[in-house]
Amino acid sequence: MQRILKYTSSLILCMLVYSSLAQKEKKLPPVNTAPFFNGVIVQADVASIAGSIFSNGTTYSYEASAQADFKHKLLPVIELGYAGANKLSTENIGFKTNAPFGRIGIDLNLLTPKKDARPTSNLFIVGLRLGMTNFKYNISNIIITDDYWGGTQPISYNNISTTKVWYEIVAGVKVEVLKNVFMGWTVRSKSLLSNDAAGNISPWFIPGFGTNNGNNYEISYTIGYRFQLPANVKQAHSSKKTDSVTK
Amino acid sequence: MKNRRIILYIFCTLLIASCAVDEQCRTNRTVLLGFGIYHVSYNDSTKLFTTTSESIDSITIKGLELDTLTGKYTYVDSILYNNTKAISAFYVPLHSFVTSSTFEITFNTKVIKSKNDTLKFFNTKDTLTVLHENINDYLSLECGCIKVHSIDTAIVTHNFIDSIKIINHTVNNVNAENIKIYK
Repeated sequence: MQRILKYTSSLILCMLVYSSLAQKEKKLPPVNTAPFFNGVIVQADVASIAGSIFSNGTTYSYEASAQADFKHKLLPVIELGYAGANKLSTENIGFKTNAPFGRIGIDLNLLTPKKDARPTSNLFIVGLRLGMTNFKYNISNIIITDDYWGGTQPISYNNISTTKVWYEIVAGVKVEVLKNVFMGWTVRSKSLLSNDAAGNISPWFIPGFGTNNGNNYEISYTIGYRFQLPANVKQAHSSKKTDSVTK
Repeated sequence: MKNRRIILYIFCTLLIASCAVDEQCRTNRTVLLGFGIYHVSYNDSTKLFTTTSESIDSITIKGLELDTLTGKYTYVDSILYNNTKAISAFYVPLHSFVTSSTFEITFNTKVIKSKNDTLKFFNTKDTLTVLHENINDYLSLECGCIKVHSIDTAIVTHNFIDSIKIINHTVNNVNAENIKIYK
């Protein structure tokens, strides 16, 4: 009887110690073993090219970006592009513009490396962008008709210059489909930081932002290549070799 | 599996439909000058003047165009108000390309001055000339441009009308009351 009591008490004690140790292990944060600088991904947006083809020249946008990878966690980015519009409204009013645009921002990778799992280059990102463009636009063939007193007057506004600034909230994924080749998509919510005052001759389209609605949503689909530092490439090779030796 | 495809198809259709751009102009493009008709009466017991909205039995309003060759006014083809009954406010368009607009207003009504004093007006005509500035107001690519006006002066004859007062100089697509007509 005494023995049974002894064994059961020691078993309970062991279980308590083990569970407390296990809890301590759980609380430990995952270790980020990624190098400080993981290279630069240079990528082009395919969705904007496809959108330009489908719009038959009404609106067009071409953009590319360079994104640095620090500790596979913080990814500052520069996006540059060229966009324009050649629109004719149902009332035959013409709108024309084209200009370069730029965005700067940062993405945060939300994927945390799991212990004992294979290191991955895939990214699940959320981020912010600040976009800006300075452009000129023309609005032509506006006809004012006086229905009661009679008479018409054609009006055109040419070379109106403006600067627009906006911010974007970005979320998306990026997957390494081949070695150093990345594909991914992002969903963007765009908001203008300054809206046009009533009575202003506001542009119909803003390069890099899209149609001038105050708020826009956009999906981008990127294909890119990661350029790494030679030291990082060597490190990656050696880690693979040690992996194969241990196996 | 089939249900999933149907749901995906409906989702895509809704997504495309939600992305369709609405190119219809939904802004009011009509710019009218607003008038209100009022009567000022004196109350003996309270010793105060009171202003009340006056309903006219019937009114006819026509635009008058100045012929620069003859120097005479001619009627614009279309009549703005044709013997319209029981009216206390009216709205007229100003000239978009000339800085003065003239209207002929014909009144048919009774005005009660006091218990024993009622004035009858039968086809009493007044001419009202408004001098104004015309300003282009760009709305959007869908709506284009409208002409809004800034009233400078209003001149009136005094067959029916006692006086007028400009209360709002801006004439735009809000179509508010701009001028008070007093009888």
